[in-house]
Amino acid sequence: VSLAGSASIDELDAIPVSHGLVWHPIRRRFDIRGFGVNAYTAEEVGGQVVEEHDESRLEHQELYVVLQGRATFTLDGETIDAPAGTFVFVRDPAVTRVAISEEDGTTVLALGGKPGEAFRVSAWEAMFAAIPAARAERWDEAIALHEEALRESPGSAPLLYNLACMEARGRRHLDALVHLRRAVELDPKFGALAARDSDLAAIRREPGFPA
Amino acid sequence: VSERPYAVLHLDELERVETSSGPELRPVRRRLGFGALGVNCWTAHAVGDRVIEEHREPDGPEELYAVVTGRATFTLGDETIDAPPGTLVSAPPGVLRGAIAAEPETTVLALGAPAGEPYVPLSWEEVYAAEGMRRRGDLDGARCTLRELVEACPDQWQGFYNLACFESLAGETDKALDALRRAVELNAEPVREYAADDEDFDSIRTDPRFEEALA
Repeated sequence: VSLAGSASIDELDAIPVSHGLVWHPIRRRFDIRGFGVNAYTAEEVGGQVVEEHDESRLEHQELYVVLQGRATFTLDGETIDAPAGTFVFVRDPAVTRVAISEEDGTTVLALGGKPGEAFRVSAWEAMFAAIPAARAERWDEAIALHEEALRESPGSAPLLYNLACMEARGRRHLDALVHLRRAVELDPKFGALAARDSDLAAIRREPGFPA
Repeated sequence: VSERPYAVLHLDELERVETSSGPELRPVRRRLGFGALGVNCWTAHAVGDRVIEEHREPDGPEELYAVVTGRATFTLGDETIDAPPGTLVSAPPGVLRGAIAAEPETTVLALGAPAGEPYVPLSWEEVYAAEGMRRRGDLDGARCTLRELVEACPDQWQGFYNLACFESLAGETDKALDALRRAVELNAEPVREYAADDEDFDSIRTDPRFEEALA
């Protein structure tokens, strides 16, 4: 059951991800289990407030709400001006979407889930949540966040791969190999990625490293 | 909105539907066809007006509110929360919650879905949508919407009750009485209470079958 409480978006954790995107975890803060909900801001004008992605893997419909400022959305190549109060609904998970901040303080609320199915916590949340620990090379903390998420999503190849990277950096080589091999079994594309990923340099010559 | 891969809408373009509890409903989920969770805006015009009805959601959805414009004073259990724009209020099922506007034109975004089970759109959204159609003079559209609702949710009295109202307004006495009887079968107490002074039934109230339907 989710937690009763309140918070301003300004008071939430602010985790820089990439391309200027700052993630403010809402679902995790209140332990909401019924749907996906997060907020995004940009470090500066021109930074992303929705990272470029599609939802083909999770098959989520997503609804973005511009709460403050102004953003430019690009949906499958079409550009949309989105001032505060705009709802951008992406019905088709295959649509590639990205949004850029046009004003200081632009804040976008992102809501998502797969119609007809009970919501499941997405593995990427743990990967985002582990970013500060990984940047500070606090590997045990980053690994613990991944392990916690793995209990909910044991078949998530991206999560297993990321966990293997953290373990390799944290000198837990055997665990890293086990998780990397499992990730490659589930999704062979991670084999090619592993071959050139600097996070895995410490285990690349170990027996059992996936070819 | 058609089945396009995406759709864009501004808050100012949302319909405003009057509700019996006070605030205006601004339907978002239904308008867009979003299937993953409940999403609606609620607007109060004046300071002191209710913007979120005081209620619990026993065994219902987890709900999250976000203040979009104006300012609200939320109650959450025993707590009072000053909520300017950007405030999030999380209300699990069972916790009493509500909000009053502290500034004019306060709008709150309400999100909800149950944990551990698929989201199913709630019947009250259809009832309010039908009410909006009736107010715009589209009584046939309203009746059609509620007929679809009672077919989809045959165990919920609210759909039958409102269908009875609209059939009555349309002069379809037999259909109105059939719907009213079914509403009584499902939950007699509120149906009798509402029907007692509901003007929508004025045209059939003198029909002896009206009293029989409520008996």
